[in-house]
Amino acid sequence: MTELERALVLLGEELAFPAAPDVSERVLARLAEPPPRRRRRALVAALAVLAVAVGAALAVPQARTAILELFRLRGATVERVDTLPPVPMRTAAALDLGREASSEELEAALVPAILGEPDAAYVSNELYGTRLTLVYGPGARVPESPYTGVGILVGEFAGEGAVRFVEKMVDAGSRVEVLQVGPYPALWIEGGPHAVLFDGETRVFEDHGRLAGNTLLVERNDVLVRIEGELTRERAIEIAESLE
Amino acid sequence: MEDRPLADDDLVARARQGDTRAYALLVEEHQTLAMRTAYLLTGSAADAEDAVQEAFVKAYRALGRFRPGSPFRPWLLAIVANEARNRRRSAGRRERLALRAAEDPLSGGAVPSPEAALLAAERRDELLAAVNELREEDRLAIACRYFLGLSEEETVSALGWRRGTVKSRTSRALDRLRERLEVNV
Repeated sequence: MTELERALVLLGEELAFPAAPDVSERVLARLAEPPPRRRRRALVAALAVLAVAVGAALAVPQARTAILELFRLRGATVERVDTLPPVPMRTAAALDLGREASSEELEAALVPAILGEPDAAYVSNELYGTRLTLVYGPGARVPESPYTGVGILVGEFAGEGAVRFVEKMVDAGSRVEVLQVGPYPALWIEGGPHAVLFDGETRVFEDHGRLAGNTLLVERNDVLVRIEGELTRERAIEIAESLE
Repeated sequence: MEDRPLADDDLVARARQGDTRAYALLVEEHQTLAMRTAYLLTGSAADAEDAVQEAFVKAYRALGRFRPGSPFRPWLLAIVANEARNRRRSAGRRERLALRAAEDPLSGGAVPSPEAALLAAERRDELLAAVNELREEDRLAIACRYFLGLSEEETVSALGWRRGTVKSRTSRALDRLRERLEVNV
C-alpha cells in the first residue's frame, strides 16, 4: 500500500458516517410477517395491463388475454404477448454481465466443445443465484448479433429453489418451439427480437431487460443454459449438445 | 479484510434452515458496513437506513438461492446497493454527497503536539477536499476500497461494475489525487 493509500484509509476512519442503528430487531419483526407477493408478479400484471390497453386501442376483441401463450422450463418462462415491453437494445459493453470469471469458475462451467474456449467469461451473483456468461466474438462462422453486439452468448444460470431465472416475452413475430436436446427439455425462440427480463426483485428487472436474438434455452438438471446469437436452430442445438 | 468467513458460513447455514436468531447475528455483524455503503450511494441517512433494513429482509428471503460456501459479504452488499440505488432513483436525488470528517475523530491514544495535530488536520482536509473533487465514479471507487475497506470483489458487488472497471477507476482516481496533492510515493 502506498503512502497515499494509507492516508486514505486513515481518512476513512475519520469520516462522518451517520450512526448505524441496530436494525436486527426490526428485520426479525419483518421476517415474522408473511412475505409479500413478489413484486415481480405485480410488474407482469402491470405489463399485462399495458398490453391489454394497447390491444384495446388496436380494436382487438376485449376478451383476448394479454399473455397469449405460455411456455415453461424450470427456470425459464416464455410468454407470448401482444406487445413487447419497451426495453433497450444493449451492446456488448453494456450487457452488464458482471465481473470476469476466475479460471476455477470457467473450469467448472459447461463449455460447448465445438466452440472451444470462450473469448471472455463473466460471472454475476444475482439474487436468484449465479449467472455465468461465456462470450464468443463474431467470426467467420458466427455473424455479429445486432442485439448483443457479440457473436454468441452462452448464459448458465445456477441456483437453488424453483426460481424463474429468465423470463422472455415474444410477440407474434417470433416462433417458439418446444424440443429436446439429448435428454433435456428445451425451447427454441426464433424470428423477431424478443424481450429478456431477468427475474429478480424490483429494479433488477428493468436494469437487465434487453432485446435478444434467436435463442435456445436448455434445462440441464439444475442449470439453465441459454444460447443466443444469429444462429440457426440446427447450429444452436449442435452447440447445446456439445456442452461438457 | 475478509472477516471471519467461517463464522458467516455457519450463520448462513443456520439461517437457511430458518434460524432467524442466527440471521440476526449476521445482521448485527454486517449492518454498519451495509449502512455506510448505502449512505455513500443514497446520500441520505434516512434512505440508507430504509435500504439496509429492506435489503436484510430481502437477503433472508433469497438465502435459499445463495450458493453455500461463497462469501456472504459481497452477495449482501449487492442487495444493499441495489436497494440503495432504487431509493436514490425514486427520490430523484441528483446532488452529490459531500463527504466530511467527523467533528471529533478517534484519536489513536497518543495525543500529538498541537502543531502536529494542526498539520495532520490540514493534510487530512486537503486530501478530503481532493477526494470530493473527483468525478463521482472515481470517488465511489476510492470510498469503497479505502473508506469502507471493501475488497475488489465486494466493490464489484456494491457498485455493479466489472472488475476491470473497478481497477481502472481506482487507479485513475489515485493518479488524480497524487497530481492534486503532489504526493510522490
